[in-house]
Amino acid sequence: MLIASILKSNTGKDPVRTVPMEPLQKDRNTDHPTQDDTEIRGYTPHVPGSSGCVTGSGESIISIDHLTKIFREKNRAVTAVNDITLDVQRGEIFGLLGPNGAGKSTLIRILTTLLRPTSGTACVDTYDITKNPEKIRTIIGVCPQNSTLDVELTAYDNLEFYGQLVNVDERVLDARIWQLLKMAELADRAHMKVQTFSGGMRRKLEIVRAFIHHPLILFLDEPTIGLDPEARREVWQQISKLNEEKTTIILTTHYMDEAEKLCNRIAFVDKGRLIALDNLENLKRLIPAGDLIEIGFEKMREEVLSAIRKNTLINSVEVKSDHLHISAKNGSKVLPAIVAIFEKFSIPMTSISIRSPSLEDVFIYLTGKKLDEGGNQEPKPARGGRPS
Amino acid sequence: MIRGAIAIFKRDFKKFLSNPFVVIMTLLMPVMYLVIFGNAMGGTISHIPVGVVQEMPPYNETPLFSNAVVALNHITQKDYPKLLDVTVYTDETAAKQDLSKGLIAAVVVFPSEVSNDHAVRLYVDSSNSIVPALVESAVRGVLAALGANNPVMVTKIYGDIKYLQFFGVGVIMMAIFTSTMFGGGIALIKDRENGIHEGYLVTPVQRTSIIAGIISSGTVRAFIAGFMIFLIDILITGIIIQSVEDFLLVILVIFIACVGVTSLVVSFASRFSAQQEYASVVAFLNLILFMTSGAFYPVIGMPDWLRWITVINPEYYGVDALRSIILRGQGLDVIGIDLIALMVFSGAMIILGIATYRRTLE
Repeated sequence: MLIASILKSNTGKDPVRTVPMEPLQKDRNTDHPTQDDTEIRGYTPHVPGSSGCVTGSGESIISIDHLTKIFREKNRAVTAVNDITLDVQRGEIFGLLGPNGAGKSTLIRILTTLLRPTSGTACVDTYDITKNPEKIRTIIGVCPQNSTLDVELTAYDNLEFYGQLVNVDERVLDARIWQLLKMAELADRAHMKVQTFSGGMRRKLEIVRAFIHHPLILFLDEPTIGLDPEARREVWQQISKLNEEKTTIILTTHYMDEAEKLCNRIAFVDKGRLIALDNLENLKRLIPAGDLIEIGFEKMREEVLSAIRKNTLINSVEVKSDHLHISAKNGSKVLPAIVAIFEKFSIPMTSISIRSPSLEDVFIYLTGKKLDEGGNQEPKPARGGRPS
Repeated sequence: MIRGAIAIFKRDFKKFLSNPFVVIMTLLMPVMYLVIFGNAMGGTISHIPVGVVQEMPPYNETPLFSNAVVALNHITQKDYPKLLDVTVYTDETAAKQDLSKGLIAAVVVFPSEVSNDHAVRLYVDSSNSIVPALVESAVRGVLAALGANNPVMVTKIYGDIKYLQFFGVGVIMMAIFTSTMFGGGIALIKDRENGIHEGYLVTPVQRTSIIAGIISSGTVRAFIAGFMIFLIDILITGIIIQSVEDFLLVILVIFIACVGVTSLVVSFASRFSAQQEYASVVAFLNLILFMTSGAFYPVIGMPDWLRWITVINPEYYGVDALRSIILRGQGLDVIGIDLIALMVFSGAMIILGIATYRRTLE
């Protein structure tokens, strides 16, 4: 919360969505001109009308073009997905990050052909989601947010049943099931009913089940929700393993650490809108404040503060009761100089800490709120969006 | 303590009111019971088809015969429509054939003379539990009114059939329906509630395959139930299956009825997402279909508007076909119509089920 307030005070009032897309790109281009041509491609909007989904040859496996989904209920309309345009690259782990109710699951459901978009188009591999849903179903694996396992069947039976639904060759099915059970470390429980499984075991079973037919793309909707840290780590390992098999993985989550740990690129979604899309490093660079240094003291003198403020790398200095909060572009380089100033005025320091901004800080910077908040907020009707 | 009770009361009541559909169905049920059960069970039997024929020779009609025909044709009960629909036959054999095909419920054979030693012969379809007694009393009444003192000789063409046997056949259909509605339908909705269907929907499996799979598993379950009740019927009610062909025919009818009823249940169960709503609709459907199937009480006793329901009621055709085989020993020639009706119904329901099954979550 402290950080949030500092950042807010630094960046002026209400940074919510005041960071438009173009400046982000510019920022990236100027800072790292040689890097990440593909990153920029992530933003390349589809030319409307040039549909037909010829992305098969290119590097992107999913391209979403101005996708909007509005749920109408009686006389109320809720825009769950609001004009989202993005591409997902072949073979990457793509993270959709946002608070509860941000529209992540709706977007996944549209891409997995469970819902039809209100407007806009999306291509999965070479198929259009509205024109060729059957084809898409053969190349995707889905692990939805709410379990769809049959808890009254055994682990083996669940996999066998699903394998038959997705047309896995009967001759290799048995071997494949055992392979997956071993991968999920459930081989010894193959013939036990799923209702006797812990949450983590069920989740792992469901994830490998989605993978039984070697899909091109794997959708994981909140794969670790409600799991304990141990189980989450195991699920993460599994996801990484699957990605090694060249599967593109699309993952939604509202856990920062999960996205940081797993994802090559992360899309921030809030209230149905895409507010940022980039890899972890670049996202962190979006925060102008840079690293955060906290120094504890017992007494403070004004001269010290002014001396510190002279350093050009330092963005802001603030005194909070017995702590000094400093934000600086390159924290680890600035720190020795600050320490030197303290020593020069012989002011004892009680503690020093330095940390880089986390994804959460980035999210707060971009939206003005924490990820865990906003769960119960209604997505506002498209602000500045197209009339729908 | 009271606060807790009030809180629970409020919560339950809120939930009750938040589902107007179920509220309406709960109120509608007793009313429907009154209307349908009352009419189906207590209705006045009328328009019983009866064949009348005079013994030959002589070939010209006796006064007794013509008077009796007119009298029989005009028996009414107060405000109700007439009791018998009389058809005059010229040939006793033809009349009996129609009786054995179930086209008429009784044949009255008049002798050529009015005397004590020439009996009026009455042949009744004894597979029907109530009609024979009504016909018999009508014939006796008419003879007495005409002053004819001929004795009446009653022949029950299918022997003595107890109500238990009459009803037992209907219970086979009931078993099929209940097992489908609780087994197939509820299981389907539970699967949907548990998200198992959402799991199907992201796989390439076709809508047709989903419905076909659900219907076939439901059919087998219903068949097991129907067949078990059939065996129990044999043991408890003492019905006798005359031949292997009859046995096979019974199995065929039970099977086709299972397909029909299962398809019906699946076709609309796939539209419901909540068990409660489904259960109230199915209870309602069960009432209408079972009551109008003729399992309890002959269809002939129902008012006309209710009899229209039997025309589209698969259970009616099932009960009718089973009774024809089990109680009357009739064959394909008689039950063919029932089988065709059942198959048409099943086909329509399967198509409806496939057409209405939602392939997306919307």
